[in-house]
Amino acid sequence: MKNKSNSILGMAFFGPALVLMTIFLFIPMILTLIYSFTDYFALNPKLTHFVGLENFSTIFKDELFTTAFFNTVKFVLIIVPLQTLGALGLALLINKVTVCKRYFKVAFFIPVVMSLAVVSNLWMQIYSPEGILNTILSNFGIDSQPFIYGADQALPSIAFMSVWQGVGYQMIIFLGGLQAINPALYEAAEMDHASAWSKFKDITLPELKPLCVFVFITVTIGAFRMIVQPMVMTGGGPSHSTYTIVYDIYETGTVNWEIGLASAMAIVFTVFVVILTIIQTILTKDKEDKHENKKAKDL
Amino acid sequence: MKKLPLFMTALSVLASTVSFTGCSKTVKPGDVPGYDEGEQYLSMWVHTIEDTPEGEAYKKSVDSFNEKFNGTYFADIEFIPRNDSGGGYSDKINASVMSGDLPDVITVDGPNVSAYAANGIIQPLAELSDEEKGVYLDSIIEQGTVDEKLYALGAMESSVGLYYNKSILAEAGIEVPDKDNPWTFSEFLDILEKIKPIMDSKNGYPLDMTFPVGEASIYYYAPFIWSNGCDLISDDGLTADGYFNSDKNAEVFKYFRGLVEKKYMSATPVEKLFESGRAAFKFDGAWEVNTIYQSYSDIDLGVAPYIVSDNWDGGRYTPTGSWAYAATSKTENIDGATELVKWMSGVESGILLYENTKSMPSTYAAYEQITTFEEDENYKALYEQLRDYGRPRPKTPVYPQVSTSFQQVLEDVALSGRNAEDEMDKSVERINAKLKRYTR
Repeated sequence: MKNKSNSILGMAFFGPALVLMTIFLFIPMILTLIYSFTDYFALNPKLTHFVGLENFSTIFKDELFTTAFFNTVKFVLIIVPLQTLGALGLALLINKVTVCKRYFKVAFFIPVVMSLAVVSNLWMQIYSPEGILNTILSNFGIDSQPFIYGADQALPSIAFMSVWQGVGYQMIIFLGGLQAINPALYEAAEMDHASAWSKFKDITLPELKPLCVFVFITVTIGAFRMIVQPMVMTGGGPSHSTYTIVYDIYETGTVNWEIGLASAMAIVFTVFVVILTIIQTILTKDKEDKHENKKAKDL
Repeated sequence: MKKLPLFMTALSVLASTVSFTGCSKTVKPGDVPGYDEGEQYLSMWVHTIEDTPEGEAYKKSVDSFNEKFNGTYFADIEFIPRNDSGGGYSDKINASVMSGDLPDVITVDGPNVSAYAANGIIQPLAELSDEEKGVYLDSIIEQGTVDEKLYALGAMESSVGLYYNKSILAEAGIEVPDKDNPWTFSEFLDILEKIKPIMDSKNGYPLDMTFPVGEASIYYYAPFIWSNGCDLISDDGLTADGYFNSDKNAEVFKYFRGLVEKKYMSATPVEKLFESGRAAFKFDGAWEVNTIYQSYSDIDLGVAPYIVSDNWDGGRYTPTGSWAYAATSKTENIDGATELVKWMSGVESGILLYENTKSMPSTYAAYEQITTFEEDENYKALYEQLRDYGRPRPKTPVYPQVSTSFQQVLEDVALSGRNAEDEMDKSVERINAKLKRYTR
C-alpha cells in the first residue's frame, strides 16, 4: 500500500515535468525528425511535400555547411583542451592559495554568470583595432592585429574568449573534486617522500578521473553548440571563417525560412555529436578500466 | 499530505491545458476597452515594444484611428518585440502562418513584402484611387507593389546619405556638386586620392566604410550596382544568373576592392572614425544626422549626393525602404484593414513617428508640414535624394538570400581579395537553390 501511494506521489512530482518536457522537448524532437524529410517552408506550410533524403544530400553537397562543419570542429579542437586544462590548472592553483581564496573563486567564476551577449560585446571592444589589446601590443612595438576582423585570426580569437568565459564553471567542478580527495592519500605520499609531480600524477589525476571525463564531454558538447559569440561579434565572418553549424541551422531556419532543410541539419548535427560522445565515453572508460585493472594487479 | 499528489496532478493537468489554449481567441465587443457593439474588430501586430518612442507613436496613431472611425472600426494593437537580427517578431508571424492565427494587419519590413505576397501571407489592399496613392512617395508605392498589385504602405521611409566633413573638404579645396550631378566613381576616386594625405596626417582614412553582416550592406551599397546599370536579380525576382553575376556587377565589387587596396578605407572597422573627425566621408542611414547633431556637434556635417557609376543614365538609384503595413490573407475585412493601413501610414501618423523617432515620413504632405526638411540643409538633401532618386531593394521572394549573398561577396572580394567572378557564381548557385521553390 505504501509502495502504491509512493508511486502516485512520485508520478505527481514527475508529472508536471513530464508534461512540459513532452511539449517543449519530445514533441519538437519528433517534429524535427519528421520535418527533416520534408521541404517545409515556414512562410507557406501548406505546400509541404515529403522529399525523402533530398535535404540530406543537399546538406552534404553544400559548401557552406561543410565550411561551418570544419569551423565548428576547429572551435572544438581549440576550446576543449584549453578549457579543460585551464580549468584544472586554475582549480589546482586556487586550491593551493591560502589568501583571498574566495576572491579568486568569484573572480574566475564571474564571466560564467554574465550573459554571453554582454561578454561578446565587451570582447569586441577589447579586440577592436584601437582597443585595449592592440594598444598594449603597440607598446611592445607589435603591429595592430585585426583579431575578429581578420579571416585568419577571428576563429582563434573567439575561441580564446569563449574559454575565458566558460573556464570558471569547470574550475568550480574541479575544485569540488580536489577538495573531496582524501587528505590521507597525500599524507601517505609525503611519508614516502613523493615529489609534487608524482603526487599530482598518481593521486590527484586518478582521483579526478571521473570529473575529467564529465568536463571533457560537457565542454565538447558546449563547444559544438557555439553560436552566440560569432553571431554577436562577427556575424559568422569574415568570409565565413567563424560560421558554425548551429549558426547555419539558425540562418537556414529563421532567416531563410527553410525549416525542412534546417531540421535535416539539426539531425545530422545531433547524430554527429551523439556518435562523438559515445566514442569519447568508450575511450575514457577503456582507460578507466585499465586503471582499475592495474590497481587490482598491484594489489 | 494526502492532498499533495492530488495538487500536483491538478497542476500538471493545468500546465498542459494552459499550453494548448494559449492561442486562438475571439474578441467580443466589451472585451477590450473601446470596442463597442456594431464596430468591426481589426487586430494588428507591430514589430516593437510599447515602451519605446516608436511604440508610443504607433499607440497614439491607433488611438486616433479608433477615435476617427468610432462606431465603424476598432483597431486593437499588439506589440511584439523583435531582436537585432529580426527574430522574435518574424518567428511569431511564421508560427502564426502555420496555426492560422494571423491578425488582420501586420507590419512587414519593406524587402520582405515580395516573399510574404508570394507565399500568400499578405493580400492586396482594397483598391486605392490615384489621388490616395499620390499621397505617398513613389518609392513607397514601388516597394509595396508586387505583380502590379499594391500590398503594403510604408509606416516610414529611409535613406542613406554620403556624409562629408565640411572643414576637411574645404581644406582640400573640394566643391560638392548638386543632387542632379553627383560625383562619378572615377571622380570620387580622384577626390579620395586628393584627401588621403590630409587624412593620413590625422591618423585616419578618407572614407569611413564597413561591410557589416546583416541587412545594412545591401541597403547601403546596392546603389553602386543600380547606377552601374545592372541589378542583383531579374525584374520578376526569379532569375539571378546573368544579373547577380553580371560583368557590370563584377566591376562594382572590384571598385570596392580598390578602395580597400588603396587604403582609402580601413579593412578593419574603426569605431567612430567619421564622428571623431578622422574620416572625410561616410555612408550611413539618415539617423546619422541626428546622431551628429546630438553627440558630435563639433563635426561640421554636410550631405553630398550619393555617388554614381560613370555610366549612370540618370535613373533612380538611392537607398530606400523601411517597415510597412499590410493586410494579411486571413482578414475577412479587407476594406477595414486597408483603412487601417492607410491611416497608420498616413500623414498624421508619419509626422507623429518623425517627432518620436526622427524617421523619415512616407508621404509628401508630411515633409511639407515638418519644417526641418525645409530649413535644415542636410535633412533637405536627404529628402530630395529620396524623393527624386529613391529605389526600393530587389523585389524577390528569396530576398534574404540575395541580401546575405551580396554582403558575402562584398566581404570576400573587397576585404579578403578573392576573385569576384567566382564568388558571384557561387552566390548565384545559392540563390538558385532557394528559387527552386518558386520556379518549379
